[in-house]
Amino acid sequence: MKIKNGFILREVAGSFIVVAVGEAVKDFKGIINLNETGAFLWKILESGATEEQLVAKLLEEYDVDEKTAAEDVGKFINKLSEAKLVK
Amino acid sequence: MFAIKPIYKYTAKLCENYLYSGSGEPEFSAVMTENDIAAEKSNAGAENFPDYYLESLAVFRKLCDYILSFRQGIIFHSSAIAVDGQAYLFTAPSGTGKSTHARLWREMLGDKAVMINDDKPIIRFVDGDFYVYGTPWNGKHHLDTNARAKIAAICEIRQGKENKIGKISPQEMLNVVFHQTIMPTELDKVDNLLAILDKMLTAVPLYRLECDISREAAELSYNAMVKGNIR
Repeated sequence: MKIKNGFILREVAGSFIVVAVGEAVKDFKGIINLNETGAFLWKILESGATEEQLVAKLLEEYDVDEKTAAEDVGKFINKLSEAKLVK
Repeated sequence: MFAIKPIYKYTAKLCENYLYSGSGEPEFSAVMTENDIAAEKSNAGAENFPDYYLESLAVFRKLCDYILSFRQGIIFHSSAIAVDGQAYLFTAPSGTGKSTHARLWREMLGDKAVMINDDKPIIRFVDGDFYVYGTPWNGKHHLDTNARAKIAAICEIRQGKENKIGKISPQEMLNVVFHQTIMPTELDKVDNLLAILDKMLTAVPLYRLECDISREAAELSYNAMVKGNIR
């Protein structure tokens, strides 16, 4: 799973956002707000990763239990899929 | 100040107060062609606009591109009103009431209040501060002044039954501003724009006003933003 081309993550005024650039603007004219965890996962997905790998990285980086990590990753991936941002 | 060579008189007339009249090269100049008009026509919803209007939009787009690339500026769909040399910007989607609110301030303050622009002012970062500038694209009531003022505050307006005002976070305002500016599609220009927004939203006081269309709402926002009294 990987973030589609044309979506960029930036930090603006203290928070993380995602916007479309180039061709992707035709299909996506909005702005997405990500929290710190979301931004962390997004950066990994820019190079591509499986759901398991995302959970593993989350556990490495944050002091959280596996069940919570798996749930958070699951929810995040669902949101990205619904917004058609991943391939 | 800029120079344009439009095809239609409409645009020349629209911009007449802003046209460059000096003897050197103007900062920005645009020579319009039928291709520019055709490009505007291809935008969604634009098929029914007359060509001369589309040309004025094309000029505006070129100016915005220039301002973003060379002058650390963005356009910001808002009603900008200046009181004692300080500007207050009311922003919201079209039809929410920002123009009306600015008008209420003018009724309340008389000559003390000056409309910088009622629809599409330009904002620029100059010498460490943010300034709002008048432009010819001044909304349906044709209100603008060829002047600039330092920005004292930005206020998002929402319609509401009760009049309330409070400060909001840069993140909240970013979501509003994003839809009230022209987003470029090229990556480097988007980064330019985001850098300007980053500076602006951390430097300028940000408010949200929920209001009806009443004098009381204007008094509330004036007291909060100009006098610093948030009830």
